[in-house]
Amino acid sequence: MYLAIKELKHSKLRFLLIGAITVLIAWLVFILCGLGNGLTTLSAATLKNMDADYVAFEEGSRASMSRSVISETLVDDLKQQSGVEDASPVGATSLTVINESSSDNEKVDVSIIGVIPGSFLEPEIVEGKPLQKDQPLEVIANDSLKKKGYEVGDTLKIEGSLEKMKIVGFVTNETYNHLPAIFTTLDKWRSIQFAAPGSNKGVEKPVNAIVMQGENINAEKLNKEFDNIEVVTKAKAIQGVPGYKEENGTIMMMLTFLLVISAFVLGVFFYVLTLQKSNQFGVLKAIGASNRFLAKIIVSQVFLLSLTSVIIGILLTYVTALILPDEMPFALDVKLVILYSILLILISTLGSLASVRRIVKIDPLLAIGRVE
Amino acid sequence: MPVLEFKNVSKIYKQGENEVQALNDVSLTVEQGEFIAVIGPSGSGKSTFLSIAGALLNPTQGEVILNGKNLHEIKPKDLAKVRLHEIGFILQTSNLVPYLNVLDQLLVVKRMAGKVTKEDKQYAIQLLQELGLGEKLKKFPEQLSGGERQRTAIARAFMNNPSIILADEPTASLDSKRAFEVVQLIAKETKLRNKAAIMVTHDERMLEYCDKVYRMEDGRLSLDETSTHKK
Ligand SMILES: Nc1ncnc2c1ncn2[C@@H]1O[C@H](COP(=O)(O)OP(=O)(O)O)[C@@H](O)[C@H]1O
Ligand SMILES: [Mg+2]
Repeated sequence: MYLAIKELKHSKLRFLLIGAITVLIAWLVFILCGLGNGLTTLSAATLKNMDADYVAFEEGSRASMSRSVISETLVDDLKQQSGVEDASPVGATSLTVINESSSDNEKVDVSIIGVIPGSFLEPEIVEGKPLQKDQPLEVIANDSLKKKGYEVGDTLKIEGSLEKMKIVGFVTNETYNHLPAIFTTLDKWRSIQFAAPGSNKGVEKPVNAIVMQGENINAEKLNKEFDNIEVVTKAKAIQGVPGYKEENGTIMMMLTFLLVISAFVLGVFFYVLTLQKSNQFGVLKAIGASNRFLAKIIVSQVFLLSLTSVIIGILLTYVTALILPDEMPFALDVKLVILYSILLILISTLGSLASVRRIVKIDPLLAIGRVE
Repeated sequence: MPVLEFKNVSKIYKQGENEVQALNDVSLTVEQGEFIAVIGPSGSGKSTFLSIAGALLNPTQGEVILNGKNLHEIKPKDLAKVRLHEIGFILQTSNLVPYLNVLDQLLVVKRMAGKVTKEDKQYAIQLLQELGLGEKLKKFPEQLSGGERQRTAIARAFMNNPSIILADEPTASLDSKRAFEVVQLIAKETKLRNKAAIMVTHDERMLEYCDKVYRMEDGRLSLDETSTHKK
């Protein structure tokens, strides 16, 4: 470490330049990480927040609520199965609402989520009061709507329908399908979703999915036992949200590329440096330096550089977060930031192994019999 | 017990079909406190000889015994340790580490061995003072003259308290005044600390400080009676 730091200090400019590049890469990694996290939250927060382990969909719907219609009557049958601790139906629809209590008549797209009031699927309210079984008009909404001027007591009209709703409470961090979620009773949701005759495909008491609690649920067994449903893990169900896989995939791909690039940039830089210093290393080996001693210099330099770059990158990212407009789906998750910091440092340090290999190959004989 | 012993050492370089006999049946012993010179024209095998003595190169034939240990029997990965603890190299050009100051150039040898103690630091400063570098402890190689750099390299060679000093044309890049100074200092430190030293050179003027002079010709080593007996 001592020699590593001595050299960093002695050739400041050289290392500052490469450090600047890694800072930029780290910065971009954390921004993408925040954007990715923001986007996935927007598209599936409601599903992610559910305290659930498995979800049952209609056979052939490939774990997507929008493609799945099953009967609520299955809930009781599923509850009888071994491993199932609790089960509750859910339905989701995206549509446009107008706030009648406000003068500007601005339309807002929302996701209507139908749940049974008081079930484990109804999120905790942060303001107002929760859903009531016998109050089909009352709904609770995501607090992001407050920014649009929505308040407790406002009446909402659904565009293209006579249905109305009244906000009685707010929940937080509930978004689905990229839209703020509004929770209603299942019956209200049904009257909106299946307003057109025949649209329920003849299913009795239709819902989109049945969410189950129970870590020991045997999905395969359930699939065999019930003809027309497919049971998947919650993680699989999240993947089934429209656009989720695509968005996540794109961002993950960019992140992977960036990680590889950062390792490559640092790796190549130090490799070239090592080549340049072959003589120096040869001399040090001749006077008794072990491979370990020399490798430690390079590895600790890469480690120090990437560590400093990552720290600066994180600071820059948090500053950026302050500047970004509110509408940007940017959400930094401390856990993810730590994860990507470790990954960045780890992969960059791995990139220095090429230099280490080079050092091992240097013959101390180089030092003898040469005139510079 | 001699510090270094060559027993019928030969070295043949193979390059495809070609074979170069760089050393041919070389035998010699070096005792404690002896400063030996090996002279000979370019290409006669001097550097090869020194590389073998310094555990950097394996002989094709024969045995090299350093402090009673046969180098042949030491595992390759332990050779670095032998060089670190028992050999002090002074190379053609000083080959200092560019980002270390004069004092650190010496202490790095101790770092390779483990830790740097207060005594090590004291010893390094004492060595540098003996070599006339007391004022230059914090200077970097680029701020030193060629002679000062070579004197730093001499101090570095003595830092690990080795039993033998090996110098490969240590005066090659110096003018004759500095060259004399440097050889004189190697001789002085060798006597003072009762070490053995071998200096390889093609410069005949540097021999007056040496106890014995060997001549290398086409890989054969022989005692140079005339130069040796002038003393
Ligand atoms: N690595 C090597 N491969 C092949 N031939 C070599 C090698 N090193 C030295 N030689 C040859 O061995 C002979 C002795 O070289 P060297 O020991 O360097 O002599 P000197 O130091 O006296 O100039 C020369 O003919 C040289 O060309
Ligand atoms: Mg030579």
